[in-house]
Amino acid sequence: MKGVLLSGGTGSRLRPITHTGPKQLVPVANKPVLEYAIEDLKEAGITEIGVILGNKGRDEIQELLGDGSKYGVDITYIVQGNPLGLAHAAGCARDFVGDDDFVMYLGDNILKSGVTDLVESFEAGDYGAGIALQEVEDPQAFGIADVDDEGNVTQLIEKPDDPPTNLALIGMYVFSPAVFDAIEGLKPSWRGELEITDAIQDLLEDGYEIDSHVVTGWWKDTGKPEDILEANRLVLEDRELKTSGVVEDGAETDGRIELAETAVIEDGAVVRGPVSIAENTTIKRGTYVGPYTSVGANSTLEDIHIENSVVIGDSEITANGRIVDSLLGRGANVGSAKELLPEGRRLVVGENSQLKL
Amino acid sequence: MRIITHTCPACGTVVAANELERNRVMKCPGLGCQEVLRFEDLSEDAREHFREHWDRYQI
Ligand SMILES: [Zn+2]
Repeated sequence: MKGVLLSGGTGSRLRPITHTGPKQLVPVANKPVLEYAIEDLKEAGITEIGVILGNKGRDEIQELLGDGSKYGVDITYIVQGNPLGLAHAAGCARDFVGDDDFVMYLGDNILKSGVTDLVESFEAGDYGAGIALQEVEDPQAFGIADVDDEGNVTQLIEKPDDPPTNLALIGMYVFSPAVFDAIEGLKPSWRGELEITDAIQDLLEDGYEIDSHVVTGWWKDTGKPEDILEANRLVLEDRELKTSGVVEDGAETDGRIELAETAVIEDGAVVRGPVSIAENTTIKRGTYVGPYTSVGANSTLEDIHIENSVVIGDSEITANGRIVDSLLGRGANVGSAKELLPEGRRLVVGENSQLKL
Repeated sequence: MRIITHTCPACGTVVAANELERNRVMKCPGLGCQEVLRFEDLSEDAREHFREHWDRYQI
């Protein structure tokens, strides 16, 4: 079994954060989203991974993942270029995959339970493909699968008016190499893409059985800022958090706190977990860091009250105010305007930024 | 739809033909790889197919 990890896409819904890098490298609980996928594949016993690169962030992704050895996996890069659809991405991996089965994983997805169950379910039978499903409340908005009593897929329907089930396809698949011939036979859809659901539908019509696996734990597509915050919340809730750094006497802490070895919570600061604080970051006197906050490396927080937020890193945040439900890009600084005249806020804000003042 | 790829002989990075076609001649996108990849490296058959169905590979 091999892995094919999709890391293309424009990340337009995550601007301005994605002006400077691919969406798959946005950190959740101080770890790039893409690393969760690599770890999930590794945990499922998959060590040969093809990483599909689009037009954006090719170098950054290669710099982060390298040859995969730091994760104990072997990575091959596959440059798809133009975003011609998930089935095109899979088709570009044909030579890499060869005669093996493979898991296809969307690199901006993050899920609690990993891919092991999906893989085991697929391997337990003789299937052309396996798809991960999750129950949703608004099936009209999703690609929906109809399944029989054994969990075999009988039909796939895109955004049905009258959905037969509430089981939506999430971005996780297992394929036998039979999918490649199905992809060769596809024509671009109305949006000019080769659709993976069309390939699965063709396998079904060619007589292949399609397995389904219903994912019960949380699953998040991290395409939008609010999704990043929610994924951050879910991961901090679940993950074991270790305090390795310095908590000075007089600092007030409770709950679970991940504190990197070189990070400091100073006397007079208050930190309530679950929280993650990365390397070389200092939480100074007068600061409150509340639950579900991740603060990236090389940052200083002073006087601020911050909660349920992600600070990516290299930031100085020293205003006396409250920041909630926020995503701050790398190197973003928030200072105080208190002594400045005329009174008022002073902003240097990048393209496509969103502020609520 | 036929999907054509080319593998860099130096670093093993796989490149879709639409990338090669767009650039004709390009430095391998593998990080740190100095290999030069050419559309002409593809087989005659693949190049022919690509020229005939060029529009399918655009977006
Ligand atoms: Zn190369």
